[in-house]
This record gives sequence, structure tokens and C-alpha cells, in this order.
Amino acid sequence: MSIKPAANGRDFPDILAGGVLIFLGALGLWAGRDLTYGTPAMMGPGFLPKSLCAIIALIGVIVLIKALSKPHEALDAVNPKPLLILVAAIAGFAFAAERFGFVAATIWLLVVGSLADPESRWKEIFISTAVLTTLGALLFVYGLGVQMPIWPF
Amino acid sequence: MAFLDVLMLGFSEALTPTNLMFCFIGALLGTLIGVLPGIGPTATVAILLPVTFFLPPLGALIMLAGIFYGAQYGGSTTAILVNLPGEASAVVTAIDGYQMARKGRAGAALAIAALGSFFAGTVATIALAVAGPTLSAFALSFGPAEYVALCIFGLLAATILAHGSVVKAIGMVCLGLVLGMVGIDVNSGSARMTFGSTDLYDGIDFVVIAVGLFGIAEIATNLESKEIRGVLQSKIGRLWPTREEFKDSWAAVLRGTGVGTILGVLPGGGATLSAFSAYSVEKRISKTPEKFGHGAIAGVAGPEAANNAGAQASFIPLLTLGIPSNSIMAMMLGAMTIHGITPGPSVIQNQPELFWGLVASMWLGNAMLLVINLPLIGLWVKLLQIPYRLMYPAILLFCCVGVYSVSNRGFDVALVILFGILGYVLRKAKCEPGPLLLGFVLGPLLETNLRRAMLLSQGDWLVFFERPISAVLLVITALMLLTLILPTIRKNRKAAFEASED
Repeated sequence: MSIKPAANGRDFPDILAGGVLIFLGALGLWAGRDLTYGTPAMMGPGFLPKSLCAIIALIGVIVLIKALSKPHEALDAVNPKPLLILVAAIAGFAFAAERFGFVAATIWLLVVGSLADPESRWKEIFISTAVLTTLGALLFVYGLGVQMPIWPF
Repeated sequence: MAFLDVLMLGFSEALTPTNLMFCFIGALLGTLIGVLPGIGPTATVAILLPVTFFLPPLGALIMLAGIFYGAQYGGSTTAILVNLPGEASAVVTAIDGYQMARKGRAGAALAIAALGSFFAGTVATIALAVAGPTLSAFALSFGPAEYVALCIFGLLAATILAHGSVVKAIGMVCLGLVLGMVGIDVNSGSARMTFGSTDLYDGIDFVVIAVGLFGIAEIATNLESKEIRGVLQSKIGRLWPTREEFKDSWAAVLRGTGVGTILGVLPGGGATLSAFSAYSVEKRISKTPEKFGHGAIAGVAGPEAANNAGAQASFIPLLTLGIPSNSIMAMMLGAMTIHGITPGPSVIQNQPELFWGLVASMWLGNAMLLVINLPLIGLWVKLLQIPYRLMYPAILLFCCVGVYSVSNRGFDVALVILFGILGYVLRKAKCEPGPLLLGFVLGPLLETNLRRAMLLSQGDWLVFFERPISAVLLVITALMLLTLILPTIRKNRKAAFEASED
């Protein structure tokens, strides 16, 4: 992702920060829309969440507006591939842990997760997966007593 | 003497074989991650939090504390030897430490760093032992209004003293506060911001947020760019410093200890801020400031003493007031909560063995670190060669199984993905996730006390200014915010932090 420097400069990390804060503030206001606000003396469940979400969105607006006139600053190189692979690996683990047990979930997590580093080699992946799965099962399931089945059946 | 009695109690707790073992594991693990670049103490404590669930409370705290101060030692080793600071707090050590290493005095730099840290750790531990009972006795008289003021003071001061934009950091604090309110509201019983999911009724677990923001997001950012590997420049050389080097450094160690102990107590303070301040103090005070940057031993001794003192002293507000001053202390608070301990002034009174045991173990841990670090230096250097691609799958496994084990459900692991992505985006947006974590742990405390205070005052906001302690705290907070608007201070703060970047 390359961003051309604008003539009047723009602080792109701050634009992103402002956008994220506005989005999350709005999301919070929407999620808490049914909560009663109450009065200062008798605060309802929505008093603080709603006030805080409004503040978050407001801060987002301030950061965003200021960012437009700040000296130019580019975003760091964004390479979402490792993150996406990690997401796939963890999602698989979350899905498989209760259904198929420790071994299946861990092998998925480690094999897919290892692909996130382009330097990984298949031989290393197999060895480290085998070692970590065995040690992990012994340490977590037998040793610490984490409530997870070992095998799918 | 009462003081000796409690100290005896502390040592009798800390010297049990299991607690000694936890202390040793913590210090060793801390050194390890301090040495390895790419994994910091915050992430490690986050990842190991669920494991401590299975340990006895004191053992868990001893181990987590050991990781924290161990990492300060380990971080300076790589800073000196290969110019790669393992931790942010060791960045300044690299400036003069690495120059000493290039002149063949790496051994002396390492020895002074270790001895200075040990001395500073001892002093800060004594400060904790002395300040603890006094401060907590004072805090026992706090009512809801004081707690609200203390929370606001702690949270805002942390954003001001921490790295980066204050406005964004306040946004992060608010975000953390809101996240802390997800789930069933205890006062009204209504579900708040659960998006209709019953899985969220109990709220979001602390471990989920910590592992997502600090663990997963850190792995993702580390994998994005090519690994930087340090090269060992020279031989370590003779470990024992010369008489001259001792003469040049002992005063710096004393000053660094003082700076670190004071700054460590402040919210947002801690190891990194202390180290930077100590370095600038040394440079200003020195008769030969031109030597700094070319291997001045005072430039190693001062910051090293300061970062360790700062790390230890940041336990003071947590253990006496229940207010964490940085993200690692927020994790310690999380660990205490997992074990059903409410951090705050009552801990010293009701569970003296916990407080004094932890204090005593910190001193023992510092002594162990001396042994772990100096003779085994060669081993730690070898560890630098381990490539990240072999390390991160293990970290990933710890993250996932750890989060799963909190309540034995896959849902939490899925939730970690969301926070991992959030953490990644926040890093790109140059938002520090630390204040978010502080807001999250303090959210419930702030809300309960705010509601109580306002109920008692029948909706009168002036109550916070009628009570002296809360008024003073709020006025200090307001003054701090005001000073930020003044241009000169803003410029100085910016310069101070720019020097600390990378």
C-alpha cells in the first residue's frame, strides 16, 4: 500500500485512529441504544456507557480534523497476509477445540499458523508441530487439567 | 519491632521451596524474553496469565513479578552486546553500553548494569515496604468520591506521562472503560452492549483482551517485516569493572535509583520513563558530557539502576491503592482478580502474607538475577540466534490454550481474534493499547464508586470538590492537562519522547 504525500500534508495514522474511534463510539452508542440513561443521582445502566461512547466518537472527530492539517505522515507498510493467516489458524482452533479435541485443534493452529512466516520450511513445521502438540497435551491437558478432550472421539 | 516481624513473615513466605521455585522460574523466564527481541514483558505476562490460574495466588504473583523485573535485566544484556534493546526501557542503555562493548569493555558494562540494578532493586523494595503500610492506611479512609478522583487522576496521568498523543490515549482509556462495562449490569440487571449474545453476559474476560491486544497483534506485526538480527561485535572481556569505572558509576547508580523510585510510583511511569530521565540527568550533571554517546559508564549505570527501581516502584500504587500505573501492573491486577484478591489498601491488612511475601520475593528475585545473568551471559547470547519462526508457533499455542482455559470455551478464543485485529489496527494508527487496558481494569471500580458518590450527594457533581483529597487529586489532574496546552512544555515533552522512539 503506497500513499502519495499530499501537498498540504496529512497524518494518515491519525486519520485511521480518528476513523476507528468514531466507528467504535458509534457502534457502542448503537449497541447500548435501549439502555436507560437515568439522572446523575440515579444513574441508569446506560449512563456511563452512552456518555463514554459519545466522548470516544467526539475524540475521534477531533483527531480526524486535526490529522488533516498535520504534517504528512505515511502509514507503516501494511502487509495483512500474516494477520489473515493467523486469524484463520485461531478461528480453526476456536471451532475445533470443543468439538474435535486438543490434538486436532492444535495441529490446525500450528500448521496453518506457521505459514504466516514466509521463511517457514515444511520440515521445520512438521517437527515443531509434533513436538509442541505432544508437549502441549502433556502440559495443559494432563499437567494443568485444562478441560479439553484430547482426541476427536 | 513490627517492621521486622512483617519482614520475617514475608521472608518465611517467600523462602518456601515452591515460592522460591516460582520466583526462579519468573526471573529466568523474564531474562529469556528480555534477551529475545520480538517478545516483550507485557505480551509474556498476558500470555502466561491463564497459566497462573492454576497456581496458588502468592506463587502466581511472585512469578509474574519475576518476569517483569527479569525482563529489565535481560533487555539490557542485548542492548549492550548487540545494540538491540530487548525492551523499550533498555533503549538508552544501548547508547553508551554498546560503545563500551565496541571498546572491549562489554564485561564491565554488564557487571555495572547488573550490580546497579541489584542495588536499585533493593532500595525500591525497601521503599515499597516502608511506603506500603503508610499509604494503605491513608487510603483506607477513602470514600467513593476519593476513589472516583483517584481513578480519574490515575487514568489521565497515565495518558500524559505515557508515550504518544494524549488525545488518542484518552480515547483509548474511554474505550477500555466501555469494554469493562460489557455484560450484565450489577445494579439494574440489564445486559449492556452484548449484541444479544448470552456468551457476553459475564463480560469480556481480562485475559481475552490482554492476549488479543498484546499477544496476537504483536505476532502479526512482527511477522510483517523481516527479522532484524543482532551481531555480536566483540568479546565480552573481563567482567569485573576497574577501580576507575567503579568511581565513575557509583554516584550515577545512586541518582538513577532515586529518579527511578520516584518516577516509578507515578501513573504512566515505570521502567522506560525512569531510564530516559536518568540518562538526561547524568548527561546534564556530568563534568564530561561530551563522553556520553561514546561509552560513558555513567550513561549505563544511571539508566540501568533507574529502570529497575522504576519497575519495582510501580508496584507501590497497585499494592497500596489498587490503581495500576502501567499495562504490566494492569495485568498484575488482572492476575490478583483471577484469584479473588481485590487489590487495594485492605490487602496489607487482611492478607499481610501476600503483600510481604511478594515484597520479600522481589528482593530474592533480584539476587537470583545477579546469579542468572552474570555467569551465564554466554548462554543468553547464544539464544539470540533462535529465529522467530521457531518461537512464535509456541507463543500462539500458549495464547490459544490459555484463553480457552479461562472458562473452557471456544467462544473466548474466537473473541481473541477480534481483539487481535483491533490491536493490529491500533498499532497502525499509532495508538498505544496500554491505556485501554488500564481503563478496562479500572472501569468497574470507577463506575461503582461514581454511582455511589452521586447517589450519596443526590446528583450534585460538586461533591468531588467538597472533599479535600478528591479535590486535590482533581485539581492536580486539571493542572496536568493545562500544562499540556502550554506550548513550551508541549515542545519539551515531544522532544523527550522523540528521543525515545525506536
